[in-house]
Amino acid sequence: MRSKRPLYLLIITALLAAYYLFLGIYLNKLGYYNQESLFYIEKTKILFDGLGNRLKIMGLTSPMLPFFGTFIFSFKNSLLAPVFASAIGTAMLFYVMASTLTKRSHDDFYLLLILVVFVFHPGMLYTACSGKSIYMVLIFFYLFFFHIIRYYKSNTTFHVSIASICLVILVFCDYKFIWLTLFFIPLVLFIAIQSLNLGEKETIFRLFKSFNSPALRRKLINKTFAIYIIIFILPLSTVLIFKMLNLTHANDLDYFIDSPYATWTVLADRMSFEQATSFSHYQSSQISPLVTASIALFCPMIVVAIYLFRHNTYETLTIMAPFAFVEFLQIKYDKIFLSYEYFLIFLVLSLLCLILRGHSHDKQMHMKTILSILVLFQLYTGYTFLKKSFISEERDFATVLFNPAPVDKQAGNREMADYINTLPSNGRILIDDAIAYPVISFTDHVQRLTLPYQETYLSASEAPEHYVSYILIATDTNPMTSYTQLNYRYVPAIKHSDNNLNLQKVYETDDWILYKVF
Amino acid sequence: MRTSVPDLSVNKSPEFNPKGLSIPELLVSDGFITRAERGRIEKFANKSDLSFIKVALSFGHISRKNYYRSIANAGYEVQPIRELAFDKDVLSKIELEFADSHLALPLRIENNKVVTVMADPTDRLFVDFIRMTYNMEPEIIVADDLDIVWFSHKLIGEKYVKSAVFELLNRDPDSSALTTFTAPQLVLLFLLLGLIAAGLVLNFKAVTIILNVAMSVFFLVAIVFKLFLSLVGSRFELHQAVTKDDVRDLIEADLPVYTILLPVYKEDKLIKKLIWNLQSLDYPREKLDVKLLIEEDDEKTLNAVRNLDFPATFEVIIVPFHMPQTKPKACNYGLLFARGEYLTIYDAEDIPDTDQLKKVVSLFNKLPENYICVQSALNYFNRNENFLTRMFTLEYSYWFDYMLPGLDTLDIPIPLGGTSNHFKMANLIELGAWDPFNVTEDADLGVRAYAKGYKVAIVNSTTYEEANNEPINWIRQRSRWIKGYMQTYLVHMRNPAKLVKKIGWKGFLGFNFFVGATPITFLIYPVLLFVFLSYVVFNIAAIKSLFPDWVLFISIFNLMVGNILMIYVNMMAVFKRRFYELILFAIANPIYWLMHSAAAYMGLYQLIVNPFYWEKTNHGLSKINNPTNVIK
Repeated sequence: MRSKRPLYLLIITALLAAYYLFLGIYLNKLGYYNQESLFYIEKTKILFDGLGNRLKIMGLTSPMLPFFGTFIFSFKNSLLAPVFASAIGTAMLFYVMASTLTKRSHDDFYLLLILVVFVFHPGMLYTACSGKSIYMVLIFFYLFFFHIIRYYKSNTTFHVSIASICLVILVFCDYKFIWLTLFFIPLVLFIAIQSLNLGEKETIFRLFKSFNSPALRRKLINKTFAIYIIIFILPLSTVLIFKMLNLTHANDLDYFIDSPYATWTVLADRMSFEQATSFSHYQSSQISPLVTASIALFCPMIVVAIYLFRHNTYETLTIMAPFAFVEFLQIKYDKIFLSYEYFLIFLVLSLLCLILRGHSHDKQMHMKTILSILVLFQLYTGYTFLKKSFISEERDFATVLFNPAPVDKQAGNREMADYINTLPSNGRILIDDAIAYPVISFTDHVQRLTLPYQETYLSASEAPEHYVSYILIATDTNPMTSYTQLNYRYVPAIKHSDNNLNLQKVYETDDWILYKVF
Repeated sequence: MRTSVPDLSVNKSPEFNPKGLSIPELLVSDGFITRAERGRIEKFANKSDLSFIKVALSFGHISRKNYYRSIANAGYEVQPIRELAFDKDVLSKIELEFADSHLALPLRIENNKVVTVMADPTDRLFVDFIRMTYNMEPEIIVADDLDIVWFSHKLIGEKYVKSAVFELLNRDPDSSALTTFTAPQLVLLFLLLGLIAAGLVLNFKAVTIILNVAMSVFFLVAIVFKLFLSLVGSRFELHQAVTKDDVRDLIEADLPVYTILLPVYKEDKLIKKLIWNLQSLDYPREKLDVKLLIEEDDEKTLNAVRNLDFPATFEVIIVPFHMPQTKPKACNYGLLFARGEYLTIYDAEDIPDTDQLKKVVSLFNKLPENYICVQSALNYFNRNENFLTRMFTLEYSYWFDYMLPGLDTLDIPIPLGGTSNHFKMANLIELGAWDPFNVTEDADLGVRAYAKGYKVAIVNSTTYEEANNEPINWIRQRSRWIKGYMQTYLVHMRNPAKLVKKIGWKGFLGFNFFVGATPITFLIYPVLLFVFLSYVVFNIAAIKSLFPDWVLFISIFNLMVGNILMIYVNMMAVFKRRFYELILFAIANPIYWLMHSAAAYMGLYQLIVNPFYWEKTNHGLSKINNPTNVIK
């Protein structure tokens, strides 16, 4: 039986992937989309069918790895590719976790516990079925912490360097994780102090001793520095290289985080904050230090995780580091709400701790009872947090998941795209995909579009009659209208500069107007 | 029982050996050895077919100075013999091994006596041999044993040295590097160059871009593969092939005879260190068969051995002059006199972990029969001496601690390190030993072993060497290594299909990436760097056209990612070794690679004009005192 565990695990993973796919495709058919997946769909379409130099799209679209993760599922159906990626990716996360567990414990309770979380936790369903890149963040977040904790025990370069590589990938899944490095700085010093051969046990005295002896001081500094380098040089240098690529190809070091053409987060974050702050109620749980409290409420299992490692100072501090990280994000990005992803990392972290230590706890009965209760509680908090999220697409997911009825958030975009699809094949359309990427993601013929990545775009926007037959304009009711040049102010301006230009409105939705150019 | 000195004609002073003692008795009487020690020497001499004096002088019982002082006191007069006349007919009747083991040699017939040089004039067995073989009495000339060894190898070592040079060539000509480029290789090479040239003439830009991209992709694949190997290797960082308990469990009486070959050339400064290091080895002295291989023309080293004022723990073998004058030729020559079941090579300055030989024996006992070689890690004792030694340490740490275990795990041919590779003697001979025409005979032998279906294992033991601390010396040494890699690559790629059949696709790709790609990478590196820097810094328009956006993207990515990854794996390796102070020096790798490139061009030049020339590395330049690496 036990020899067949890997096979059973594979079967469970496959079933889980099928379950996620079924759910994801169903939600997709009901009309659930989010900004991130639409952005990836649009970029994928450009890469497959677009004209002109697509190198910048391929190389600088950010976050890079989730984009490629979606890209590889795009050969059949680009609209469903993000869902395929997230469903299979989340199932892989389950497999990685479960296989780590089965190598350590033969107790199926813990496997069942993980399975329950993956099948029923709204957060995991959101990860798997939304088409967002959270799955990739969670996989590499898990692997990073797994290898860091393993390093403390094994002291091998293998684990620390794999952790570093995972951190690189994590940063390229979500750039904000670069700040996680900050919170390992004191931790590394602590590890270095602990690893010195000193008679003294108390950390503060060890520190005192090692700083007052030249030989020990040199040793301490060398070791601390070496660990910093080995963990952080890869993420920092890869970010530097990526910035360099941005500079050479887009003349801007921060193009990948600042440009709406490179990343979906720029506008999505602004929009969600603007919309949310217009609410009348006070957003109390997003005010530090209550974030830590909300995390503990969202995932009380993290307290058990800390309890399990209470005698291991490194591990405890490591588990605490993400708390500091999230608090920091809250301060650093004060105009952005913390997305659900940053709560889910604690769920994954607590599962990791359970995988590593849960089965070796003395009082298994107590442990299992507490964990069962906590998991059930977390299913509820998971739902509540999703339902009451400040980010609309998270709330939408909860709504469509628990009240399966068609949603029409993208109806306007889809309607406009459907109309564009019916236009004659020789009619070129000028579109600014900074905000119109949802429309493009629903269109069938990207090669008919003139987009900002193409060399002709600027000329076309200056003299449309020579280059295009249609222009897509954002209406003044479009919430993102101020982030594009092609908005309601463009039409009078271009008419003013070119008296011979005739524009005729041919199709209109709430957010878009399509003009025909004469 | 006392043996009396035979009544022979011996060069002696008037008060010659008044007590009529044999040499063993004389040494006991003079207090240079104890009676018990004499008994042990005689027992071992009988068991190993060596003469008493050979054992006494080569196994650390008495120093040469004391020995010659003792026989001088006894009235013997040690004479110079190198200019003495000899008769080939007389020499033809004695085997070199016999002469060598008795430190004696008959030279000619004179006055109806056989003029014989002997280090121990009381060696009855040899005297009886002379009487029986030539039917005459010997006329004994007492001589320095090292002179006798030198003379005997020079005079009757010819067939041995021929065997050392031509054995592999005769047995397996396809594996010999005597022919550097075969005709098909030359045709292919010039065809390729011709095609590129024609392409450049027809469409310079397109062909340059293609070459540019091909090189970039090649670089990246090679580097990612190296990172992968390093990670695989680092996975087994804590795995101990042999534990302390395994070593403890070995029974000394059951240990096999272990041959250690020490090829040296003009290493006079290192002889004392060498003896100290050998004495530190934790292995029964009488089960060690240590052979110091000195070239015929290397008077310096020979004199250094002669002038030792403490007992030597090795046997001197003089390698007669024969081209090519390479280390593998010397090793092949030494192999012909080796008595061990296992054999290893150390350089004169090497400091092996004291338990290395026992670990290897233990590992061989554990491994399946097809494992015929065990490679130890190499590292440097003078790592903090200067920039070059630091960089060298980084490189070796990465190579021996990560790459080789990675290759081993993936079952890819391992290019053996220059020293501390331990062989099963029988299999080494079966393989045809080292190729004397190949200047990295070790890497070549590793591939040949895999081709025959044999395996190489890695042992968790380190030999500390002296890192080259002078840039010119370093470049010379490295040029030889890179030239050797080119030779090895050319030899084994004479028939790629056959190689694939022998070592499989995985081995074939591994061989191409490691042995083939190494020199190519170093040759290309400065060209690419120059082109790229010209583009970035000087913004040269002509170069700009060769870097369309997508090529530039790949190039920058390669340049950056490739460099970072290589720097990182170097960092990993020194991190593993706990050489924390070296970690930042990994950043200087791109400069260090430029030195490799200089060496690669020198190697390429030599491959064409002087393929068998052995670019000698000077050792003993380090000022760092090297403590013995005692394993507790």
